[in-house]
Amino acid sequence: MISAINKEKCIGCGICVERCPLDALRIDTDGKAFIAYPEDCMTCFLCERYCPKGAIFVHPFKEILPPVYPIA
Amino acid sequence: MMNREMIQIDTDVLIIGAGASGMWTAKHLKELSPSLEVMVVDKSASDWGGLMTMSEGDFDAVPPTENVDDWVKDLVYYWDGLCDQELMTTLFSTSYDRLCDYETMNCAYTRNEDGSFKGIPQRGLDHFKLSITEVKGNGGENMRDSLNGEMKRLGVKRQGRVMITDLLKANGRIVGAVGFHTRTGAYYRFSANAVVIATGRAGWKSSYGKNTSTGEGLLLAYNAGAALTNMEFVEVWNVPKLFSWEGQTVLLPLGAKFVNAEGESFMDRYSPILKGNTDPHYTTMAMALEVKAGRGPIYFDTTDIKDEDRKFVQPEGGWQLLNHEKLKNIGIDFFKGRTEWQPQILSDFGGIVADAYGRTAVDGLYAVGRARFLDAGVYIGGFDLSTTATTGYLAAEGIFDYLQQDLAPFSQEAFEQEALQKLEQLEAANAQEGIPYKGVLRQIQELVFPYSVSILKSEAALQAALASLKQIQAELLPQMMANDPHYLMKCKEVEAIATMTEIYLRAAIERKETRGGHYREDYPQRDDDNWLGWLYISKDGEDMQCKFVPVPLAQYPHAVERYYQDNFEFPSVSE
Repeated sequence: MISAINKEKCIGCGICVERCPLDALRIDTDGKAFIAYPEDCMTCFLCERYCPKGAIFVHPFKEILPPVYPIA
Repeated sequence: MMNREMIQIDTDVLIIGAGASGMWTAKHLKELSPSLEVMVVDKSASDWGGLMTMSEGDFDAVPPTENVDDWVKDLVYYWDGLCDQELMTTLFSTSYDRLCDYETMNCAYTRNEDGSFKGIPQRGLDHFKLSITEVKGNGGENMRDSLNGEMKRLGVKRQGRVMITDLLKANGRIVGAVGFHTRTGAYYRFSANAVVIATGRAGWKSSYGKNTSTGEGLLLAYNAGAALTNMEFVEVWNVPKLFSWEGQTVLLPLGAKFVNAEGESFMDRYSPILKGNTDPHYTTMAMALEVKAGRGPIYFDTTDIKDEDRKFVQPEGGWQLLNHEKLKNIGIDFFKGRTEWQPQILSDFGGIVADAYGRTAVDGLYAVGRARFLDAGVYIGGFDLSTTATTGYLAAEGIFDYLQQDLAPFSQEAFEQEALQKLEQLEAANAQEGIPYKGVLRQIQELVFPYSVSILKSEAALQAALASLKQIQAELLPQMMANDPHYLMKCKEVEAIATMTEIYLRAAIERKETRGGHYREDYPQRDDDNWLGWLYISKDGEDMQCKFVPVPLAQYPHAVERYYQDNFEFPSVSE
């Protein structure tokens, strides 16, 4: 899941906000992108890939979901 | 009274969903009639391309040297008889043309030395093969970019970040839709003589790059009077426990295998003929049985893939390469050893009942791609990219013909009143206080994910899940908080997920047999005398009506003589 947006690297271009399929990102009052709805990330990496400044880091591990197998 | 901006858009055809099937419908409509106004709306970015964006780009096409009938016979066998043979013959007769269209749009597919497309055999089937893109890792993105280019070239209008919440009907036919902008909150009112549902399947937000597909398109059609079918079949995928990985469809035929905690390739035992190269639904049944027998966890082992074959499967770009590199950075090399995998319920296989030209039971309402019914509970790689193209293309022809007719007139006043009523209901859903949607979604996931409800099903477990769901629907859904347009979208998604979950559970309870991916521990045998047919679910007032429609074998060219499920020997079946 998305874990961080580096405010120093972010130039506020808004590409990640426009690209996020889950609408999880927004531009803050300081003109920089921030993770507005972190619980909605589906780990698609689109924001990190399209960021022109390498400001976004998405961890490859996805959301932990309710179990399929009975809990021992 | 509503206090938000209202935007009115008039178009000839409104397409809901900007993925592959929606773009194919729009593309061919504009090719047939450039003067038609075609508008594509999506709740995400207008050009993001839907789940095609996340895919490998694999495509099933019957080459000119092969016979469509042979491929359809494969489906009759693979789907244990639940194959609409006329529909599949029509779709796959056009599949090669659509693959060639993609090539014309600069999406290159791997070829053999003789110039034919390289085909990877699928799941032990005799004829079905998928074609693979030349670029590994972002084949789907190339296809999306190509179709986006076509949208611009042909003058298709697009609107992103708008979620459609209701269809509008007047004088017995579809005349438009209403929705809202997921960021500004503005209300949208569309007038259109035809509306196309291209929204994909009903999914459960299983975090496998597919969390956008949540069933509201199916709900729109269901509420408007269309039937849904195949809803008792769910797509249960075997996925890495911690991360996402696309491409097992190609990895399995090249030597990758699932093993249990003892290192045994257990599919050799459950299916001595097909072994591991089979449909993931049978594999996940076996995975659940292995865990139940105490031989878990389950791993995916890639060590037997030959070096020379690795070039066909190693990600070379896109999210898959980035994912691969990130995993290596934390010590997980997918191609060197084994990783823990588990079943994960993704979406419902079912969809809207429609003919080859996308026509539903409701005048002016069309369904394409993964939102419409096609397959029955088992999976073929490349099937979805093929059928999103073929169903989208053919639906455009159906819509074009429909628009040539004298359509029933309706008054503007009736249209506006219908829209106002729907938008007032939407306005009431903007609850400033309440419980977060995520907790409600989580409770629905908790009741449907366990293998007793999704894989090794029984009446008792399904009924218990349905009772829990009814409680959630009565007590929690009305209390969800939608204090901004983003959360209003999420609440509408969860409402659709809840209804689709109910339909899944009711249909799964109803089908008292085992067929394809639908495995009932309490009815472990196939029952052709009573169950060789489809369950049509439709709305009857506030109730769900369930109708059994037999497979019309007398009208079909191919007899049902072989069953894919006979390749498997599960303990409770043989007991």
